[in-house]
Amino acid sequence: MPERRTSRLAPVLHLAPAMSGAAAQTTPSPAPAHGRTPVVVSLDDATKEFDDVRAASHVTLQVARGTILGLIGPSGSGKTTIVRMLTGSLAPTSGQVRVLGEDPTRYRRRTRERIGYMPQQFILYPDLTAAENVSFVAALFGLYWRRRSRRVREVLDLVQLSEARDRRAGRLSGGMQRRLELACALVHEPAVMFVDEPTAGIDPILRQKIWAEFRRLRDEGRTLFVTTQYVGEAEYCDQVALLAEGQLVALAAPEEMRRRALGGEVIELELSRPVETADLANLDGVSAVRWTGPRTLQVVAESAGDATPRVLQAIARLGGEVVRSREHRPTFDEVFARLVARHRAGDGEGEADGDD
Amino acid sequence: MTELPLLLVKTWVRTTSFIGKELTECVRRPGALFSLVLGPFLIMALFGLGYSGQRRPLETVLVLPPGSTLPRDASAYEQLGPVGGLRLVQVTEELEGARERLRRQEIDLIVIAPADLEKQFREGRQSEIGIEFNQIDPIVGNYVRFVAYRQVQELNAKIIELAAGEGQQYAIQALGSQELTRVPPQVIAQPTRAELRNLAQTTPAVVTYFAPAVLALVLQHMAVTLSALSMVRERLGGAMELFRVAPVTPMEILVGKYLGYGFLSVLIAALGAALLVFGLGVPLLGDPAWFAGVILLLSFASLGLGLLISILADSERQAVQLSMLVLLASVFFSGFVLPLEEFLPQVRWFAYALPVTHGIRLLQDLMLRGGTYADWQIWALAAVGIGLFLVSALSLRKSMAHA
Repeated sequence: MPERRTSRLAPVLHLAPAMSGAAAQTTPSPAPAHGRTPVVVSLDDATKEFDDVRAASHVTLQVARGTILGLIGPSGSGKTTIVRMLTGSLAPTSGQVRVLGEDPTRYRRRTRERIGYMPQQFILYPDLTAAENVSFVAALFGLYWRRRSRRVREVLDLVQLSEARDRRAGRLSGGMQRRLELACALVHEPAVMFVDEPTAGIDPILRQKIWAEFRRLRDEGRTLFVTTQYVGEAEYCDQVALLAEGQLVALAAPEEMRRRALGGEVIELELSRPVETADLANLDGVSAVRWTGPRTLQVVAESAGDATPRVLQAIARLGGEVVRSREHRPTFDEVFARLVARHRAGDGEGEADGDD
Repeated sequence: MTELPLLLVKTWVRTTSFIGKELTECVRRPGALFSLVLGPFLIMALFGLGYSGQRRPLETVLVLPPGSTLPRDASAYEQLGPVGGLRLVQVTEELEGARERLRRQEIDLIVIAPADLEKQFREGRQSEIGIEFNQIDPIVGNYVRFVAYRQVQELNAKIIELAAGEGQQYAIQALGSQELTRVPPQVIAQPTRAELRNLAQTTPAVVTYFAPAVLALVLQHMAVTLSALSMVRERLGGAMELFRVAPVTPMEILVGKYLGYGFLSVLIAALGAALLVFGLGVPLLGDPAWFAGVILLLSFASLGLGLLISILADSERQAVQLSMLVLLASVFFSGFVLPLEEFLPQVRWFAYALPVTHGIRLLQDLMLRGGTYADWQIWALAAVGIGLFLVSALSLRKSMAHA
């Protein structure tokens, strides 16, 4: 029997997409909390080893229906291994994987018909035209001729490849090939999609378009499991799972991820002159204060909105004068760098502790 | 639509999707199409037009003993009658000179005439006709021995015939007896002769005889090379990853590929057969339906061999190498060049595992004999095809299973 361990992350990381303020800010997510929405994808302590290499280590996460989960991590962090476990190409060494309630290594045909997959590499046929490639994939999923030709037309329209429908796939640009693969993954209208690095090597404008399409699919109630190494794309997801060296570093809504990285919300202040700020940390709702320049400091608070008046008053009492104040929103690069660094330092939960 | 018909329709849709894909991919690769379709046709046409099947007569130098009164002009010997398998290019007394030409392989044979034939004969001794050749090819060497033996037999018969004729003349003159002339000298010299009768419906020329074998070999090679790269490309290109996720079974993939490549193979075989029959005049004496059936079985078994290679090979290079090995084995062991009966029985089993071994025999029989008594080879060909199909299906299933 393989060893069964419960991830330390598990209890705190099962967050529903509805909890995501950021998701609501970027695009409203219709997905309600897990308690009421069926879980479509789940990994429970899933580990995958290749000889002596552990590509995925004790990963536990759940994805509710109608959610975009972004699996983010650097190259070689185990993203594709997790996707391949979910598609059934790889069996976990230990732990449990479930998609649509089934073990992926034993998918029934009906279940497979509800799954879409866009692999990382271009796997289509360069000698077939764009339309022929999509039609072939549609046929693999059992679409009859009439429905197939309608869907081929629709998905090529969707990914803006209608004009290139008769061009051979091998002669399409890299971006067009990615879109063609996306069309193939969508052609049978899957309920859940596994999309492995869809935006790799694609220009920013097209990336926006692809994410817009993902959000549209999400709004239709589909579940998307998307891997990417562009951490900035976390913004587009309802949930973000951060992966490093095969381990899940954090799993949360994007805004929650920011809070965890920084220990809360951060107020950035510019003063006319330096003042003694030791007492600021004792203010109600403030967890940390740090100077980032001779006259600039950051105050970490549970709620920036609530804490800002108190902080301004305290600085005035200390004889300081605030020239400018604003909420500091770190980039996701910074957020993830902090979380990964903290994880590597031994704080495996990746939870912000506010002491930085 | 109820469950089972729906399932069948979807299975049909998935399976047939491979036919279109494989055919389209083949058509879109003009280079591959050229080598696969036109290549075999060119080979067959070159074979038909360029191979005579006639063995070249052995270039021979006759060395006469010193002082011989026999003619020095080679053409003088041609007047004596046809000399089977030999062409006299020189008559000389210079043995060493002739040997030097033999060493340089300018000639094939030296015939050294005995110095005192009549004297030896009268003294009741055999004369020795020296025959020298310079061959490392055992088949040609055997042929030289056969021709030399036959020539000596012919010569002996001529001498006996001559002696018998002289004896009869002497008897008539000396004894006045006509009794002794009743038996002609050639009957005395060669009391028996062979009267050959071929029961075969045709007596094909060499090219005609080999044409069905070439068709079988080309068909197998084409089907093997066509399909041998197929699954390797799917795997290396990453499509296998998609097949693992899609609701397509290994059996549907395999059957789809069989149908796609089978269509191409049968089409090419039909064109090849038409070229043989209408272009090179090779007869098709047997039932065309049986002929078509053998072509189908040969294609089926050959595609199985190719697909098995394709599933087992790690790379395109290895698939090509294995295909070439199959071709090499087919040339040696199928009976195409060397008769199957000359191999050890154990080795013959290996030969029977090759589809082309049965294809050659059956196509030759059906085309040139009008039917076959080796009908067990039809079953054997079907068994090889089914066996390869099952092994391919199992191998594909294994390779598509999760890691």
